[in-house]
Amino acid sequence: MKILVKLSDKILLIFIFFASILVVAVTLFFGGSLIQIIVFSGFIYIVSFLITFVISRNFSRKIMRLSFKVEEMAAGNLSKKLEVNSKDEIGQLTNSLNELISRLQTGVAVDVSKHWELDKAKTDFVALASHQLRTPLSIIKWYVDFLIAGDAGELGSEQINYLKEVYRSNERLIELVNALLDVSRIDVGTFSIDPEPTDIIERAEAAIKKFALEIKTKEITLVKHYDELPTLKLDPRLTKMVFANIISNSVKYTSVGGKIKIEIKKTEPNVLIKISDTGCGIPREVQPKIFTKLFRALNAKKIESIGTGLGLYIVKAIIEKSGGRIWFESPSLDLLLEAGQKNSDIPIDKRNQGTTFFITMPLQGMKKRIGTKNLSS
Amino acid sequence: MGKVNKSILIIEDEAAMLKALASKFKNENFTVFTSGDGEEGLALALKEHPHIILLDIIMPKIDGITVMKKIREQKRWGKEVPIIMLTNLSDPESVSEAANYGVYDFLVKTDWRLDDVVKLIKEKLSLD
Repeated sequence: MKILVKLSDKILLIFIFFASILVVAVTLFFGGSLIQIIVFSGFIYIVSFLITFVISRNFSRKIMRLSFKVEEMAAGNLSKKLEVNSKDEIGQLTNSLNELISRLQTGVAVDVSKHWELDKAKTDFVALASHQLRTPLSIIKWYVDFLIAGDAGELGSEQINYLKEVYRSNERLIELVNALLDVSRIDVGTFSIDPEPTDIIERAEAAIKKFALEIKTKEITLVKHYDELPTLKLDPRLTKMVFANIISNSVKYTSVGGKIKIEIKKTEPNVLIKISDTGCGIPREVQPKIFTKLFRALNAKKIESIGTGLGLYIVKAIIEKSGGRIWFESPSLDLLLEAGQKNSDIPIDKRNQGTTFFITMPLQGMKKRIGTKNLSS
Repeated sequence: MGKVNKSILIIEDEAAMLKALASKFKNENFTVFTSGDGEEGLALALKEHPHIILLDIIMPKIDGITVMKKIREQKRWGKEVPIIMLTNLSDPESVSEAANYGVYDFLVKTDWRLDDVVKLIKEKLSLD
């Protein structure tokens, strides 16, 4: 460790030096005239002032030069090392900066611009995928629709049935692409939440409508309990997405003749959404993983082999980013109590356990979030 | 099928989509003008003054938003003609930009069946 000569010390030393000369001079000239003393000491003061001035100007110049170099570095020019030409604090600072430059060059320090580039690449991918994947999917959708409608000539019923399968698979692909895009928008953090006065019950009904046919085909009893609610400030598209995702799971995993209950309650200061079903339930051992991206429980896969494992991940992100909470309970206690009697002769591990999802959202509405991308409806 | 007697301009760079849209609207007795790029589409719009325009966004030469802007710069017809964006972009930036130029509707292609697109356009033109 070198002993540093501090600059302020230099200045102080010079002052002391001149001050002692002054004292000697004053003593020597004690017998002299007052004017002589004043002239001489005035001269000494001026000389010492000039010397101090030169030193401090030199000091400021060094600092200025260094600050230009640092600005250059900030602008990304890391190729030049700084010149060290003194042993004082400036010299030490220059040394530290050189150390920082070499660390930045070897990549030890975090290069923020790299992160930014990565995020941009991800966002660009989302834009590219949404355009490039959706284009052929919409072409297939439209042409198959044409064929089914008989626009290109009458088809036999078997041909139409095959085409309907193609159409359904294509719809699934569209859903998957949309879900993947949603996930990347959530992960990159570019999705927006635009709350506006929304009738939450209308949103729930719009989501239920999507599954009306399946509910009827599976003879599922649908029970609804809605409290009287004012219009809330919610993002209407996201609200429907949340309902549709949870209800879709309930419909998918509830067997024929089962029951689904949808409740929307006012529980100050929140609105509580409760969606229960008598479906297969979520086994205890996988419950902690249920909101994880791409995760699907084994029992769910057995019932429905197709599924992205993205739905609940997206729902959780929407709810939590907009200021709400989501959790679940499986077995579903209230529906199990109602259905328990009927199932008593079925071994416990074969019984449908049921699930209840709970979502709360503040009555004051969703938190606005500015993003560059919408989640798909 | 009755005579619709309305004209539609479809500007879409994807040939297969353009074909599907054109034949759908021809079947519905529309007079159909088509174009595969923004520049030609804009020229066609200014020449033919269609009753309604169906417009894609990502296209060669001039993008859909710019086409829309140029049409809106025209007098009377250009200010009033309903323009429907039919695209696969769904970012709020494009939507709000289109809204600034008075877009009638903003449709994401994968979400719409052709029949429903036709229905929407007929509704706008107060047909049926």
